Amino acid sequence: MADQALAAQSAFSELKPVQSAALSIEVRDGLTIASIAAGKGKAADVRAVMQKAFGIDLPDRPLRVEGGGISVIWHGPDQWLAIAPRGAGDRDLESELAALLDGIAAVTDQSDGRAVVRLSGSCVRDVLAKGVPVDLHASAFASNGVAITHASHIGIVLWQIDETPTFEIALFRSFADSFAHWLAHASVEFTAG
Amino acid sequence: MRFNCPCCGERGAEEFVYHGDAAATRPDANSPTAMADFIAYTYERTNAAGVHRELWYHAAGCHLWLVVARNVMNHQIISVARARDVALAQTAQATCGAQSNGGT
Repeated sequence: MADQALAAQSAFSELKPVQSAALSIEVRDGLTIASIAAGKGKAADVRAVMQKAFGIDLPDRPLRVEGGGISVIWHGPDQWLAIAPRGAGDRDLESELAALLDGIAAVTDQSDGRAVVRLSGSCVRDVLAKGVPVDLHASAFASNGVAITHASHIGIVLWQIDETPTFEIALFRSFADSFAHWLAHASVEFTAG
Repeated sequence: MRFNCPCCGERGAEEFVYHGDAAATRPDANSPTAMADFIAYTYERTNAAGVHRELWYHAAGCHLWLVVARNVMNHQIISVARARDVALAQTAQATCGAQSNGGT
């Protein structure tokens, strides 16, 4: 039998990248993602370790923090998602964090379980308003805000990166094509022509 | 209906799943009347018009269990609390009660 090399496939097989001032859509492949769930009564220990290792204060409410080459997304009470680019060194956050948080938190690889997409531009709130039942207006939702909710009935974690505005959305990989289908419909009025 | 989740803020009812009566107290399984007590605990509800204490789960959000006081006549949400906090408060009360009973 011939040897076959396995190559990573993007979760978004159908999503067409979009690039304009009104709206840009970019798939974020090549990320290493790990979930952190603090053990019972161990959240303070987890916070101390992450502060020492990355210089970040883990959020206790829906916020995103960045530091030490990773970003951390609040993911429920005493739970977080840590995200970083794999980079040339093929970084693996699960093994990195599992070693740091041994005995005080459950660290699980989510790199291939989640698909992440970045949406940016002046019309992005109008696109998201068609499926996300959370108020994302600048007066209610700011940079580094996080929401665990759904988009067109698909469970998502959403966070805001900057005031452009730029948002990133993570969802279960197996929903990526359904999500892309919705996103294509929701954004067509800003991308057509 | 919108619930003010202690973690996520105000969210629509479609993000939550109803998981039953929060006012019912699990009976003692070793009691001689355990069978009748459990039948009552499982099935018997007065369904009173007015405020109910209910368990809700934030399934499409932060996955918290919540104790919600809700008026079933007009869907007004009176309070939302973390079920964990409610349970801990009840345990603390029970412990204090046991201590005071056992005290001199």
